[in-house]
Amino acid sequence: MALLMNLPSLAVMALVLAYPIYYAGYLSVHKVGIAEIRRGVFPFYDWQNYARLFEDELFWLSLQNTAIFTFVTVSAEIVLAVAIALLINQSSLWTSRVTRWLILLPYAIPPIANGLIWNFMYNFQFGFLNRILFTAGIIGEPINWAGNPDTALYAVTVPYIWRTLPFAILLIHAALQGIPRELYEAAAVDGATAWHRFRHVTLPLLRPIIAVILILRTSFAFAVFEEILAITQGGPGDATWVAAWYSYKVSFAPPFNIGAGSASAYVLAMIVGALAILYVKLVYRRIA
Amino acid sequence: MLRPSRTARILLHLANLVVIFFLLLPLFAVAIGSLQSEKSLQANTRAVLPDEYTLDNYLVILTAGEQKGRIFEQTTYLPDNIKHFFRAFANSTIVALSVTALTLALGSMSAYTVVRMRYRWIAWLMQANVVARFVPIIVLMIPLYVTMRGWGLLNSLAGVIVALTGFLLPYAILILAPYFDSIPQELEDAARIDGCTRFKAFLKVTLPLSTPGLSSCGVIMFIISWHELLIPLILNSKPEFMTLPVVIASLVGDVHVFFNLMMAICLLALLPSVVLVLLLQKYVVEGLAAGAVKG
Repeated sequence: MALLMNLPSLAVMALVLAYPIYYAGYLSVHKVGIAEIRRGVFPFYDWQNYARLFEDELFWLSLQNTAIFTFVTVSAEIVLAVAIALLINQSSLWTSRVTRWLILLPYAIPPIANGLIWNFMYNFQFGFLNRILFTAGIIGEPINWAGNPDTALYAVTVPYIWRTLPFAILLIHAALQGIPRELYEAAAVDGATAWHRFRHVTLPLLRPIIAVILILRTSFAFAVFEEILAITQGGPGDATWVAAWYSYKVSFAPPFNIGAGSASAYVLAMIVGALAILYVKLVYRRIA
Repeated sequence: MLRPSRTARILLHLANLVVIFFLLLPLFAVAIGSLQSEKSLQANTRAVLPDEYTLDNYLVILTAGEQKGRIFEQTTYLPDNIKHFFRAFANSTIVALSVTALTLALGSMSAYTVVRMRYRWIAWLMQANVVARFVPIIVLMIPLYVTMRGWGLLNSLAGVIVALTGFLLPYAILILAPYFDSIPQELEDAARIDGCTRFKAFLKVTLPLSTPGLSSCGVIMFIISWHELLIPLILNSKPEFMTLPVVIASLVGDVHVFFNLMMAICLLALLPSVVLVLLLQKYVVEGLAAGAVKG
């Protein structure tokens, strides 16, 4: 019975998850270009795809950019999520209730649309962000947010943080509501200031959920794609090439080097896979 | 929480206003951008609000380029994909609804076995699901492209639906399992004593009691499928099979496309999921929490 009820899921997952993961590994050690796909024969290529990958400076740059992108987005998200979750937890304030009602909005925006909207926000000539700053009298000359190689990578972190922050806020807010009031009352009786209550009551109790968010967000930020495609397309120059963009460009843009693309995707999968195993050990230990 | 002092309250109100401003800023940008002409966008590059508003951008998209309105009167070039808006909208709807139905049907059966039947291999399966949730879609793209090409499933909605269902199933199972776990086993046992088979007890007792869980999972599955770009982008290249995100992505980097037109199409694409999230907020919140932290 158990097998029968799992059969359809297993079949579909084998088809589009397990087999492709295996097949990506297979492709990554074979020579697969447009000519090989036409002929339908993939010659064995040993570790040459990987060897070339590790010699490619652009690949290392992409990994480095991905690491910076991930570090910036994840650390900003955790700090902001804790702060905003505490803020919307103040249910006696009507503004907090409004914020809480709106907080999920970014989750509903398609990532590619989010990218294009921020493309418009950042536009050098007529972007919305510069318009606001002009009107507020903050800047006198337009700023080229996403077109400057020094700032582009940081510019693309903002839309990504905007879109994915609700998830983190939500988890922390749920955890906050699980903290018994008595703990705060006891702390207040002991004369603890607001900061002390946060530092010694709230924060330690939030630690497990922060670990969950840290792992989930890190592994998803590592595979960022849509915002890069819509805002900078890797540019200016190669300032915003990230790992997923590298795999995509190498495989699906001329000269269609699918073998090398698979190899780079596999490196990405290994990094994320390590995080996934950590997550299982930490969060789903109960099942094992 | 303790009641904050007067100064603290003012500061917290201010903080809330800053957060609300940041939350709404991109939505203001897309709305205002979509309601003006390229000309007014270029004419004054420093004002937040345009001098005049127009609905012509929407007119062009919603009439598939038939009616150009005043601002597009002179233009000779309109990207073909703009003209496929309705087709893409329909495709996105078909894909999102099918994937939602399939992941709910298959996912609920698997999730049920995970919480009710204690076999070693099912525990393994659950762990595999957790790991599978982390697989970046870009890793699957290349082999999916090659295999779907082999099976002749490129350029079809079926290919996208199958691929997306498989990709989302592990997440659906993670969301549903805790809901099934919260339903008392005794209810099912009673049904089985009355002669129900296990499957029938699942269908007639567990499933009806899990409607909140199914709603949570369903709305999340719908939203993720509605948003998905990479799978349809790589599997389908013919315009008649494009989904909305693919049409939007095809406009990126087209120097002839007006920003205002892009903002209008973005707004039309984000509207359904925004309405869904605001209406079913409670379910989305519960589902996201269930899928992240509970076994």
